[in-house]
Amino acid sequence: MRILIVGGGTGGTIVANNLARRLSAEIRNRKVRLTMLSASDRHMYQPGLLYVAFGQMTPDQLYRDQRGLLEPNIDFHVDPVEKFQLDKNQVTTKSGKTYEYDILVIATGSRIVPETVPGLAEGAETFYTEATAVKMFKRLREFEGGRIAVVVGVPHKCPIAPVELIFSMHDYFKARGIRDKVSIKYHYPIGRMHTIENVAKWAKPEFDRMGIEIETLFNVKEVDAEHKVVRSEEGTETQYDLLIAIPPHKGMEVIEDNNLGMGGWIPTDRFKLTMKDRDNVYVLGDTTNLPVSKTGSAAHFEAEVVSENIASIIKIGTPVRDYDGKVYCFIEAGHDRATYAMFNYQNPPDLKPATKPMHWFKTAYNQMYWTSVRGLL
Amino acid sequence: MTTQTEVRLDAIPTEDLQRLVEFAQLVTAARDAMSDEIVHRLAGAFSEGMTLLDRLTRNEGLMRLLQVLDRQESQNFLIALSDAIHRSSQEISAAPPAVGGIGCTLRVMRDPGILEGLRLMSLIGKHLSHSLREQHHHGG
Repeated sequence: MRILIVGGGTGGTIVANNLARRLSAEIRNRKVRLTMLSASDRHMYQPGLLYVAFGQMTPDQLYRDQRGLLEPNIDFHVDPVEKFQLDKNQVTTKSGKTYEYDILVIATGSRIVPETVPGLAEGAETFYTEATAVKMFKRLREFEGGRIAVVVGVPHKCPIAPVELIFSMHDYFKARGIRDKVSIKYHYPIGRMHTIENVAKWAKPEFDRMGIEIETLFNVKEVDAEHKVVRSEEGTETQYDLLIAIPPHKGMEVIEDNNLGMGGWIPTDRFKLTMKDRDNVYVLGDTTNLPVSKTGSAAHFEAEVVSENIASIIKIGTPVRDYDGKVYCFIEAGHDRATYAMFNYQNPPDLKPATKPMHWFKTAYNQMYWTSVRGLL
Repeated sequence: MTTQTEVRLDAIPTEDLQRLVEFAQLVTAARDAMSDEIVHRLAGAFSEGMTLLDRLTRNEGLMRLLQVLDRQESQNFLIALSDAIHRSSQEISAAPPAVGGIGCTLRVMRDPGILEGLRLMSLIGKHLSHSLREQHHHGG
């Protein structure tokens, strides 16, 4: 049995390690072969980018060697897939090699596409890549006062990010003693201040306390970087001195190029996590088109279901678990308080007041992530 | 109006309340002393420790070695090995440098202790070879 995992992010790595443990005897006896193809030999802890943008972490702290995170019985190659030939059960990589499989796991993730909004890439700061997070920190560092506008593109990775960004910014300028010289305006694309209703209810009084101006129903149409104006599809506009954007996201190009899913999101069964009409192809993490958050947490819980099911198919011939839509998101409410949102397909999150111990839990998790992707937590 | 909680508090001896206050003060002091950096380092150590422990406990060779080392004769062997390392380090520092040649080799070979040592090393080598061959035959 050949299991091929495409993508070495959070989801792909957890699936690979879980399978390597569950099927260690089968791999040793050469009944199963576990292969991972990734675009990079490094693994990034992506939530850390927000900390980089506020000078709380340096980029080198976000990376680990991918090979070192994987179980030794996983055949790992840095060779990204370029062609998916699902009818032939094979993929072709950038190096020209062809890999055949019996079971395929696609976990290629997502990418930012600021260029889809005119002027956004040139006019706005973002923190979704190492380079832009460092640049954003330098801009914040030299900012001495004025109007900051925060705009949010859709869809985007980590639904909590816009809220955390506001909290972090408030605390950052407060610590520098210039909060009274900075006005912050938060723009959100739907009719309330967050897509998750209970997060909106929880965050509204917090934003009021911090003196954040809120404009809802603001879908970014264009950014006029020269005149420092951001305009919405709804016809409104905001002047700014510094624009910070949560850029819109898409799935990876290779998914679109191979016609696996519109926008790079693969149609996925919400319970089985298999690709539509392909029972031997599993999809997880940002790559799915599921109505759950695009976060490492969702990828983690999905990965546990996928690996348990693949292992049970090999051992007893049938899957044993369904994905219930579970997501657990930490919410950093500034630099010393945090809370969390846990939800699934059935139950919305019930947010508790932010506390310092939860902030420490999140701080600890920033390190324990590496234990998590190794499949230990 | 007196609540049930107040009644219960009244019933608690003063010394116990004092201890509770002291405990709360201890927790508050620890909380105030804690910084993000401390949490970061502790979590880092915990994370790496867990990974190491996982690797060690799933290492079949190491587990077998631990099983073997649990036996009394293995522990005797380790004690003997420790003693041997200690004594040989003392002897070697006091012994003159070897002159080499066949004569020197013959002198060494006449020492019963040396021959005992060679026999021990040969036995270990023999069993090691046998075990490696067995594992190879079983696809290990």
